[in-house]
Amino acid sequence: MEAVRSNALIAGLIVVAILISIFSYFSLSSRIASVGSSVEEIGEKISGLEERVSRVEQEVRGLKETMGQPVETTTPPPREIVKTEVRTETVVVEKVTLTVIGPWSGKEQEYFMEVLDSFMEKYPNITIKYVPMRAEEVARTLTVQFEAGVTPADVVITPWAWWIVEMAKKGHVVDVTGMISEDEYVPGILDNVKWGGKLWGVPFTMWLKPGFWYKKSFFQKHGLEEPKSWEEFLQLLEKIKGIPGIKNPIVSGDQVGWPLSDVTEHFLIAFGGPELQYKLISGEVKFTDPQVREIFQRLVDLIKKGYFSEPVEWTSGVERFWAEEYALYFMGTWITGMVPDPGDLGFFPLPGARGVVGGADYAFIPKYTENMEAAKLLLKYLATEGQAVHVSTPAGKVPTWLGVSVEQLWPPMQDVFRKIKELNMAIVPDLDDTVGGDWQTLFWDQLKLLWVQPDKLDQVLETLAREHPSVKG
Amino acid sequence: MGRRRTSLTPILFIIPAFLFILTIVIGPSLATVYMSFSVEGKLTLEKYFEVVTETSPKKALVLLPEGLEPPPWGALVHNIVWMAIHIPLVTLLGLFLAYILRYTIGSSIVKAIIFIGMVIPMVVGGLIIRFMFDKDVGVVPIVFDVLGLESLAKTWTSYPQLSLLALILGSVWLWTGFSLTVYSAALHAIPASYIEAARIDGAGHWHIFWKIVFPLVKPATIIVVIMTMLWDLKIFDIVYVATLGGPGGSSNVLALVMYLYMARAIDYNAAAVVAVILTLLTIPPGLWLALRGVRSGR
Repeated sequence: MEAVRSNALIAGLIVVAILISIFSYFSLSSRIASVGSSVEEIGEKISGLEERVSRVEQEVRGLKETMGQPVETTTPPPREIVKTEVRTETVVVEKVTLTVIGPWSGKEQEYFMEVLDSFMEKYPNITIKYVPMRAEEVARTLTVQFEAGVTPADVVITPWAWWIVEMAKKGHVVDVTGMISEDEYVPGILDNVKWGGKLWGVPFTMWLKPGFWYKKSFFQKHGLEEPKSWEEFLQLLEKIKGIPGIKNPIVSGDQVGWPLSDVTEHFLIAFGGPELQYKLISGEVKFTDPQVREIFQRLVDLIKKGYFSEPVEWTSGVERFWAEEYALYFMGTWITGMVPDPGDLGFFPLPGARGVVGGADYAFIPKYTENMEAAKLLLKYLATEGQAVHVSTPAGKVPTWLGVSVEQLWPPMQDVFRKIKELNMAIVPDLDDTVGGDWQTLFWDQLKLLWVQPDKLDQVLETLAREHPSVKG
Repeated sequence: MGRRRTSLTPILFIIPAFLFILTIVIGPSLATVYMSFSVEGKLTLEKYFEVVTETSPKKALVLLPEGLEPPPWGALVHNIVWMAIHIPLVTLLGLFLAYILRYTIGSSIVKAIIFIGMVIPMVVGGLIIRFMFDKDVGVVPIVFDVLGLESLAKTWTSYPQLSLLALILGSVWLWTGFSLTVYSAALHAIPASYIEAARIDGAGHWHIFWKIVFPLVKPATIIVVIMTMLWDLKIFDIVYVATLGGPGGSSNVLALVMYLYMARAIDYNAAAVVAVILTLLTIPPGLWLALRGVRSGR
């Protein structure tokens, strides 16, 4: 009987304990919620103050300008970069460890670590733990964690500006309006991380996708030259096709999808101008438009003639290109850091191209960070001085901040830069990165289909037009 | 008195585990179901209709728009095709190998090699499948090249006609280790006297296999079929790594559609709808297996 009683007593105690826990949880959570809303109100007031300070700063700059004092220009990097003096601040921060998520691993991570090391040198109280995570993975894991009100990192860097804006719309991102002087950046580079008149992330360094890369030694050995017209380009492809050992003149990168979209966008810009790219992004021009179809037809003709290879995994594509199985590779500037001898690399855009696709990595602070001040310091550093450190490494990047001079770039990138400057090419946003969402994966996937079934051109264009966010919403 | 004590003790033991499952599994599952019906605060079937009738190649569950080929199937149909090919192959191959290897010297080494597919992470498995069917380095296209079959001597994962088949065949390699292990254990449980008696009565190998071995390993077959079915329904990793559901959505599967809704379209309600559909499909075989276990007293 006693045993039964003791069992009943234990059971009763457990039930009471559970009830107390549930009651405590609900009462505490309601209190936490009210405290949270107060904190949010204070945060909003602070951010309002920051905005005012920023406006005052801008007014002061305007006054300086009217008084004839030198002010940084907004000229994009390929044209001219004016070296500016870096303003140093003394900010005392308590000892903290920041976690940073970024898209780089391997060699690219090493180059980025140089930026973090230089930051830690400047702010000895701040230690940084870096976690590599690709954009896909960031979108997959952080979306859920943010919904749960937690964040695994204090600062997140991703090339998907559209995703940052989506998270901002859901209230997961810290407003950084006023943190940087917007006129000190490549024009248009901040537009992708703006929403509701506010800035939700800052740009880090930028890559460019300037054209077809080739090995200078290979061209020299076979008496090949950069084409000056479309006809010369076709002749070059035909000549390369006849070289023994060459599988296809151009290697097509695959696995992720963007290497195919990059070369497609280059064709669109070359034959439709930068304005066509903007109109395709906004949906003003449909993919079924005759002008777009005509450009795609040029691409399809090249695919049918076997000038493009079957899609191959893009990093192994670099190796095969270097091993001279293929002679040309359309790739971003980061290829300079992926080959054994970047000095042997040359590139040419499609003749007549007036624009080059450029895209940046963006850093933002999740609202749930517990190290807000230190995170803001790092964000500002990445948007300014940190860029100078990064572009000096073989990462193959260029700055989005105009405060970095051409001389500070890694030497092989200086040549690339100068050539883009000579060609007077405008920097145009990446089409699929800007549209983003599930349309981006659809675009990549449809191009993979087009590459192996070029006869499906109309079907592919209809799908892209039908599923574009401007049509589907 | 003693009976009452024993009836209360198990409940006390169960409570912590139940609370844990309630928090980690049941709660989120119910929340997902609720989310799938909830649109702007209202409970409706709107999202279900939207998801089921979707025709975008990356999100279609049933059929793609007319004119798209080959074949214009959505993710759910791909899962069904996957099961239709994968289950018989894995079941028969596992049983056949287990039976043959039972009488082979050094079979444990062969079994260990086959089992590697089960041990490696599925993401790595996806990468291996990619390379296995690559035109330049993959064993499959190279074999077809030697045989002079040009149409199959290419990178399978790049072509809409072959990408799904490449993934299914690759998954056979990854999953056969499971069926082999289950069947090996089942075969060991068959008393040797049954086989010996059949031999004395003049039965041949084939006869012994079909008339004695196959019926006796029926419980193992049920386990293999059900587990493979569940594995096929929730397949994600290898598709994500090897083809990302392409090209042209030709190898898309349910779990990938769910992921795309969640992480790409940032449409949690639509993702919840796919999750519920996926769960509903897995419930009947899982429940049947569980009830069968209960009925047989296990």
